[in-house]
Amino acid sequence: MNLQVLESQFWSLCLQGVALGFIYVLISLGYTMVYGVLRLINFANSEVFMVGTFATVVAQVGILQNETNSQSLHGFRLIYTLTFALIFSMLVCGFLGVLVELVAYRRLRSLGAKPLGFLISAIAVSIVLLETIRIVTYSRPQTSPRLLDKWSFGEFAGANFRIDTVMVIISGIVIFFTLDRFVTKTRLGKAIRAVSMSEEISKLMGINLNRVVSLTFFIGGLTTGAAAFFYTTVYETTQFNVGFNLGLAAFTTAVLGGIGNLRGAFYGGMFLGVLEQFASAILGSQWKSVTVFTVLVLVLLLKPNGIFGEAVQQTRT
Amino acid sequence: MNKKIQRSLAVVSAATLLFGVSAVSSAGAAQKTVYLAFQAPLTGANALTGQDELTAAKFALSEYNATNPSVKVELVIADDQGLAEVAAVVAPGIAANKKVIGLIGPAFSGATQASLPAYKATGLPMISMSATRVSLTDKKAPVNGFPIFKRVVANDKFQGPALARYAIKGVSSPSVYLVDDKTAYGKGLADYTKPSIVRDAKIAGSDSVPENTSDYTSVVAKVKASGANVVIYCGYAPDAAKFVKALRDGGYTGIFAAGDGVLKATFPNNAGNTAAEGARLTAADVPFEDVATAAQMVAYTKLTGIKVPGSYVTSTYNATNIFLTCIKQGVTTRPGMQNCITAGSFKGIAGDTIKFDRYGDIIGGAAVGAFTIKAGKIVYLGVA
Repeated sequence: MNLQVLESQFWSLCLQGVALGFIYVLISLGYTMVYGVLRLINFANSEVFMVGTFATVVAQVGILQNETNSQSLHGFRLIYTLTFALIFSMLVCGFLGVLVELVAYRRLRSLGAKPLGFLISAIAVSIVLLETIRIVTYSRPQTSPRLLDKWSFGEFAGANFRIDTVMVIISGIVIFFTLDRFVTKTRLGKAIRAVSMSEEISKLMGINLNRVVSLTFFIGGLTTGAAAFFYTTVYETTQFNVGFNLGLAAFTTAVLGGIGNLRGAFYGGMFLGVLEQFASAILGSQWKSVTVFTVLVLVLLLKPNGIFGEAVQQTRT
Repeated sequence: MNKKIQRSLAVVSAATLLFGVSAVSSAGAAQKTVYLAFQAPLTGANALTGQDELTAAKFALSEYNATNPSVKVELVIADDQGLAEVAAVVAPGIAANKKVIGLIGPAFSGATQASLPAYKATGLPMISMSATRVSLTDKKAPVNGFPIFKRVVANDKFQGPALARYAIKGVSSPSVYLVDDKTAYGKGLADYTKPSIVRDAKIAGSDSVPENTSDYTSVVAKVKASGANVVIYCGYAPDAAKFVKALRDGGYTGIFAAGDGVLKATFPNNAGNTAAEGARLTAADVPFEDVATAAQMVAYTKLTGIKVPGSYVTSTYNATNIFLTCIKQGVTTRPGMQNCITAGSFKGIAGDTIKFDRYGDIIGGAAVGAFTIKAGKIVYLGVA
């Protein structure tokens, strides 16, 4: 056990944990939105994320013609490039989410298939996406160019406020609260919540169920695409199997916070991000998963609906 | 999430392997065709290693078949995903087919160990291009590969001390932070590196970071808190690239050193040239583009579509050519192959002599080379 690391790195670990947590939150929204509406765990979401990371690289390198080893960009060009890559990744993941729903779930839904059918269908789509990208990329990691020079706002109490860390946190907050307001305040958001409460009654109220389900997959894809963009911008690399660990962490995030519940995903992500950092630093990285999943089991033992499962039940999507 | 399903699929494909291979074999028997099997991870998390190696086996074979030999050689490709449990299912399928007279692989040590019983029972000679676990050729080990197992790569007993020596070379008061990736390879190499560090330097700390981790910031925090001026990473290139980048971005300015799993042309590209610059790497594997002729490189790229060969391409090429040399000498059976490999002396692509000792390592040990990254390119410096 290494407690000495906390003397100089406590706030650094907190900051990095929060930044990582926001990436988890954004991916977990893809799981939680879909679960909220369909009571279905969309396992393919981890591969939608993976495709998003490649979409980011394609936007930066293929479409905007930046070399892999190009110099960092500045000013308008930088903002334009990052915004374009973010929107591109979000749209690719959004439409991929809709496509996954159409191909893998819609027919099963209309036939009233059992949950196991959905699960296998989700895993099948997941493998198809994973292996397709693996073949196309020759299993090789793809590098994203360092377009954003990683300058720092300064170091406070040992925590380095680097531009990419700050960008992830601020953007994560903006995206999360925009989505939260969309779901709670807008007509479409209310339709999503209505379907999540009762499919049958929503239909009687004139809500187009298929449209709401597609919209939910689209929104889940958008946030997952945003996470993919931030992941690629911070870590500057991706690989065909990147979705596995990140997807598992995001799924854990959703369950910790109370799956199907937006604000729960937010708290779950923050909790998991910070917990992972401290477990790795104090106990050693080899104990990270043991710690995280022990905590998950304990939480579920005490609160089967997740930490915030009941307290914020009203915000269920 | 889909790992279990992948494993199950591997079990199914392994069951069909035997029948599939048999059918192909009988059809080709009239044309004097023999088969070499190739076993490595071709799907799953470790697919990159196996896919890289497969290009070398295919390339060596294409060179051989282009000479219009009297005995044609074809490849039987088996995917063990680099996992012991999958290999244990795949291996009997290959072992049972008598047309297969030699095995290139397996690529990973754990998978090799799990495959040994099937191959030993049927006397299938095997040459691994990248299984470096010491016990595989250790006569005292309860499960070693004697007599069928050989390897054309230096085992970790040689590489570990060489890596430690090279990492701290010229560093005053070296203080080393040792990180492995929890794999059999990474952990094994770290275990053989540690005694040399303890003897010649100070251990500032150690950590085991699981393979495919994305975020290394907590390790960087520990390295900084420990005051280490040398970081040794025992793992593979994709993770090393992420780690070294995180170290440099986190303000670490000391030495970064790693073993053969990182010696890959993609490492400096993925890490970004500035982060990887000056990294100290060791390997028994020489980059293929450094030893192949220009014409061979053109042919390799044409065949595989890959411009920059990955890791263990040279060793796989050598392993395949050892089998092909024996086949050229008229060997078409497993016992013949076993005798030929055990008694023969072969030439590696770099002009080195390959002759195996009784337990399967190259006599004199495969040399461990020292490399560094200069201007984004891997540069060979000499023996570590």
